[in-house]
Amino acid sequence: MQYRNEELRNRLAAEYVLGTLSWRARRRFDIALKENPLLRRAVAEWENRLLPLAGSLPEQTPPTRVWRAIQGRLGHAETRRGWWDSLALWRATAAIATAALFALAIALLQSEPEVLPPRMVVVMADLQTSNPAMTVSWTPGEDGERLMQIRVIGHAEMDPDTEWELWMLPDPEQPPVSLGLISTHELQTMRVPPELNRALDAAWGMAMSVEPKGGSPTGVPTGPVLYMGQCVKA
Amino acid sequence: MEQDEIQDLLARCALGEEKAFSVLYRRCAPKLFAVAVRITRRHDWAEDVLQESFVNIWHHASGYNPARSAPMTWMTAIVRNRALDLLRRPRQADGSEEEYQAALAALPDDTPGPEELLQRSHDAHRLSECLRQLSEDQQRSISMAFFYGMSHAELAARMDKPLGSVKTWIRRGLDRLRACLDGI
Repeated sequence: MQYRNEELRNRLAAEYVLGTLSWRARRRFDIALKENPLLRRAVAEWENRLLPLAGSLPEQTPPTRVWRAIQGRLGHAETRRGWWDSLALWRATAAIATAALFALAIALLQSEPEVLPPRMVVVMADLQTSNPAMTVSWTPGEDGERLMQIRVIGHAEMDPDTEWELWMLPDPEQPPVSLGLISTHELQTMRVPPELNRALDAAWGMAMSVEPKGGSPTGVPTGPVLYMGQCVKA
Repeated sequence: MEQDEIQDLLARCALGEEKAFSVLYRRCAPKLFAVAVRITRRHDWAEDVLQESFVNIWHHASGYNPARSAPMTWMTAIVRNRALDLLRRPRQADGSEEEYQAALAALPDDTPGPEELLQRSHDAHRLSECLRQLSEDQQRSISMAFFYGMSHAELAARMDKPLGSVKTWIRRGLDRLRACLDGI
């Protein structure tokens, strides 16, 4: 009834959006909102006026359990959790001595003295031995086709009738994206199609899996993952 | 630009595309979680609020109307309403009232205060301009109410001012804010 007065409507809507109403007043207001389109409009207007303020708060990443709970409640297919989301694997990767990684990254950068802009570097570890096994680097932010430099460390051997496939890991909750097949040659260059540029620059890590001839038939890694590493900006 | 992307994600959620929903979550949850944490002042509550809100966002994505509000505004409203409902509900029984009041009393002075945040805000330029035109008391009571979800009584206690004054500051402040924002 009191919501018929425009001034009052406006005032209550403002305090509702600002958040100063008591619990009981909020409940009453919620009920009135359902029935009164004018009231809904007043609220929407105040939301548009005040809520952009919230954008000034520094972001805070919620724990992963919140996302899992949401998926569980909505009955959504659990994001395929594969090896790329396995803590154990990341621990294995982390087991490589940081110093060794650092030295390697530096060496890698120094070996390409002509490269001045920031580089993305991935030092991938052999998951069996935890030793550095392969590096991948590129210049982020470039337009057009990206050129990735791949360096295979040591004298790796590939089993016959198999293929090595390189994968980009967008983040722990997303399945890997294939970048293509690689060889065991010490130095290789791979072209990345421009549509992957943004995802590549934001990628979390990379991995190499062993696949049948022609590469993974399913679009996700099917064979064992030999190498894996996290992307760092150098 | 970013707004268009979020709008597009919401539209795809409305069509039941789970992948769009997970992208939406990754894009927006950190901002929305910050809103919930700031108001509830408790991480466990903020997590509940975020969870409820996203379940809601998924179910009501088709009800989002781009002509009425920006997508972030729409989602922020959902989160704030959840957080405020949780905050305001009667809760003497479980002792969390004392806990909450203690948390309020211990509001950090080392973290950037609402006023400072106002100045930092990018997408609310006009709003900050208008807020600056208010009296200091009006500005302070409105921004503390907004960011910390304080009620009139809590504001009065916190600012050590009579309840009536706080109510008047807020009412007049909101009136002036509206006039300034709507260009009346």
